Amino acid sequence: MFRAAPMVRVTLWFLASESQDAALLLARHGEFAPVSPDEGGDESTHHEYPTEYPTHHPVMSYREAFLEAESRLRKLQELVKEPDPVVPDDAMAPALTGLQGTNERLKHVWLAFSETVETLTKISEEQRNLRALQESFARLHGLNLDLSQLFHPDSLLNVRIGSVPVGNLPRLKEAMALGGYVLAEFDRSGEQVFAVIVGPRGSDVAGLLSQSGWRDMNIPDALRTRPEEARRYLDERSATLASQWQQAQVLLAAQHQRYGERIREAAMQLVLARPLAEAAHTGVGQRGQLVRLTGWMPKSGLNALQTALATRFHGRFLSEVRAPQADERAKVPSLLRYPRWLQPFAPLVRSYGLPRYGEFDPTLPFAAGYLLLFGAMFGDVGQGAVILLMALLLGHRLGRMCWVGVAAGAASMGFGVAYGSVFGHEDVIAPLWLSPMHAPTHLLTVAIGLGAVFLVLTFVVNIHNRLAQGQRAAALGAAGGLAGLVFYLGALGWIASLAGWVDWAFPASVLSATGLCFVALHVGMESRSPWGERLLVTAIETLETGINLFANTLSFMRVAAFSLNHVALSLAVFALAQGLGPTTQLLTEVLGNIVVIVLEGGIVAIQAMRLMYYEGFSRFFSGDGVAFKPLVLSGRACLFRQD
Amino acid sequence: MSAYLNARVSLLRARLWQRLDFIRLLDAADGDVAGVLSEQGLPQLASGYLGQDAHSLEQRIVARVLDETRVLLRPLEGVARAFLLYWTQRFEISNLKTLLRGKMIAERPALLLARLTPMGSFARLDGEAMAHVEDLAELFRYLETGSYAAIVRQARLAFEESHDPFLLDAALDRAYYEGLARHAKALEAEQGTDFARLMGSYIDRINLVWLLRYRFNYNLPPAQVFYLLVNAHYGLSLSLLKNLATKADIAAVLSALPDSLRTVLADATEISEVARRLEQRRLLLAEHILRKSGPAFTRAFAYLMLRERRLRDVRAILRGRQLRLSSRAIAHVAGVA
Repeated sequence: MFRAAPMVRVTLWFLASESQDAALLLARHGEFAPVSPDEGGDESTHHEYPTEYPTHHPVMSYREAFLEAESRLRKLQELVKEPDPVVPDDAMAPALTGLQGTNERLKHVWLAFSETVETLTKISEEQRNLRALQESFARLHGLNLDLSQLFHPDSLLNVRIGSVPVGNLPRLKEAMALGGYVLAEFDRSGEQVFAVIVGPRGSDVAGLLSQSGWRDMNIPDALRTRPEEARRYLDERSATLASQWQQAQVLLAAQHQRYGERIREAAMQLVLARPLAEAAHTGVGQRGQLVRLTGWMPKSGLNALQTALATRFHGRFLSEVRAPQADERAKVPSLLRYPRWLQPFAPLVRSYGLPRYGEFDPTLPFAAGYLLLFGAMFGDVGQGAVILLMALLLGHRLGRMCWVGVAAGAASMGFGVAYGSVFGHEDVIAPLWLSPMHAPTHLLTVAIGLGAVFLVLTFVVNIHNRLAQGQRAAALGAAGGLAGLVFYLGALGWIASLAGWVDWAFPASVLSATGLCFVALHVGMESRSPWGERLLVTAIETLETGINLFANTLSFMRVAAFSLNHVALSLAVFALAQGLGPTTQLLTEVLGNIVVIVLEGGIVAIQAMRLMYYEGFSRFFSGDGVAFKPLVLSGRACLFRQD
Repeated sequence: MSAYLNARVSLLRARLWQRLDFIRLLDAADGDVAGVLSEQGLPQLASGYLGQDAHSLEQRIVARVLDETRVLLRPLEGVARAFLLYWTQRFEISNLKTLLRGKMIAERPALLLARLTPMGSFARLDGEAMAHVEDLAELFRYLETGSYAAIVRQARLAFEESHDPFLLDAALDRAYYEGLARHAKALEAEQGTDFARLMGSYIDRINLVWLLRYRFNYNLPPAQVFYLLVNAHYGLSLSLLKNLATKADIAAVLSALPDSLRTVLADATEISEVARRLEQRRLLLAEHILRKSGPAFTRAFAYLMLRERRLRDVRAILRGRQLRLSSRAIAHVAGVA
């Protein structure tokens, strides 16, 4: 629970002809996360921009065929809804030729569908144009031109009527003028402008018109005759398009009927082919007739996997297993498992980062610390109960996060009992511990003490993490390491002596100075600058260590400050309610409590998070761990996508 | 923000390759090239450079430029941020052209993907999905639902009428650069004259070189040439471009230019020479702006312009060496002769 599951690096060799079944078995097992066999050797592999997309490898051909087929299937599935395939336990993955065949069949099916989709798009576009034409037709009379004369082929003028995108009109007008043409706009519809262009016949403007997106308006003879004839023509055309639209829809349904089985079969094949295609993205080696799959898996699952491989491949495979090496620990994926009750808190830790492999996983201390801080800052039996009930009521919308709300409400109720506060009233129950309003100094002292304990724990965790990463010097000498801890404990002893609680002033000063000297020594040795700069850096960073620890500790005063704030807000509500009639007083208190719960509750939730993140996590948690993403049989994990 | 950005630019400025660095790379023995590149801060280009094809080199250079752009973007917000983000979209427009051309010749998706420049977090296009469409019509349909819908729609309309790939490219380029000029205009008031001069030298070069090429290499009619140029408000105004498009030959065009450009282009007779001199003028201006203490964003933009140019010069040298060209020829192409 406090660290990622122990991992082993597994390299498996299979016959190339069985590689797709090997990957399928690994996906069924669900605990094998493939990695590039040479990961870590080349800087470019860590770059955000992958610079190569290998296509020459036989396994890459498999992946290529898979990606093409998957893209076609996805497009088809957008048109025809099919349920996810149920994969039989004994189903085998398709070989390369089988997958290529599936891809070809999907291509054939998609082209059939695509033709219908294209037809529908064109009909839709023509319907839009026709509507615009119907609207424009009435206005054509406004031009007061004899159209039949204008369009006469023997005319000296080249006359065209058409439309152009509105954004291109001014520029086209200017350009046409260069060619001796005049452009006159006579109507607009949406983003299109309808215009007439007139210029000398023989002048070459075809390229310009193409470039500008000009569309000649095909004016049928009918429109050049009587208006009633024109209207009839437009109505007929409109009816024809509607009928064509219906036919295309019927065709689409028929195609679904015809190709449905083929699509379902292809979907099944692709589910089975996906594991090898995904593994190929991260790197599958091939030598002769053998294929090598490399990846990380939890040590606990190794025996089960080897048994499954032996049963399926009867010795036709080789495996090499080794523990993570010291220099690759940063790249080992972290597989974190939690009991159900702790799982709701995991996303809150993830939002800061993922622990590196071997690092301390702070999820449990986070949950405990967060609830402790929230309860201490927002201790009230009544308001805590409201939070708890609201979280339960909104459970279906909040999902698992509702349990964080339930726990926070319970913590608030617990501290409410300790503070003796019920909806802000301190006279309903006697405080089990103390009333913040009546013992503010004591509360502030406890808060700072809590901060000191919290910071000492972060030192311990940080020392553990540095040692786990093989950074011995940082674990011992860094400001967040043993030297920093010695300095901090000494400083705490010295302050306690000043306050008169203990009499350790001299030994505490010596301890503190020793720790600080080691921190300075470490900073000086780590710096690669010239001597002058190194001295300056050492002085500043050492001073910063002291100031930061002081500030970090004082930061916990907010725990007491918010508990006092809670009381003060309640008093303000009571002051407002005082002197009002019984009903209005009750209403004011209810509204006041709602404001306190929403406003102060929200602020306290954020402050508790902030304390955990910035005073806690930032001191020991790099948060740059690699997520464990195993091959799985179904779902769209899409390791291979470039994003 | 300004102090941070200025400090960042000053630090990055040290990465710009100087003439001596180029000569060192040019003169290095084959075995030492990787070392020179690594020492000069380009280890990404060093690994296996002899085996790299042009695409791979270009991809690594763009990756470098995008990495540095991301660093400079961090403190930016508002119109300055929008401008720099739009500036990076040049690479994606180039991807768009690759995809369109690839679909015209029914290229295999995997090969097509290999030729795309990875945009990382700057990506607005889903390269995988687009490479896997069946044909050009489907690609257009797909693109018209995405981030580049406006630009692509113009290009599609142009292409559907003519089926000329040149018109498709020209429409995409024009739409992109007009967008860039619009983004720049929103910044000019706050950034001052240096930024406007830098943008002017960039857009004017594009307009003049396009005008000469369209008019005298492709023999397009003046009206179409004028239509294809970028509508901007810098040295070469639209009315001047309209006038230039009607000129009969290169000399007539150059003699009708404003004094500042005419001086730079004196005695130039070839379009390539015009392009080279205008590019040189732009880079000198960028260097000047980078040296002086002007607005931080303008300096950052000048840096990015120079950085990209010099990385491309490095690429030219590497490609020249791969092709076993003479040092003299490589030096000429890379601008270090």
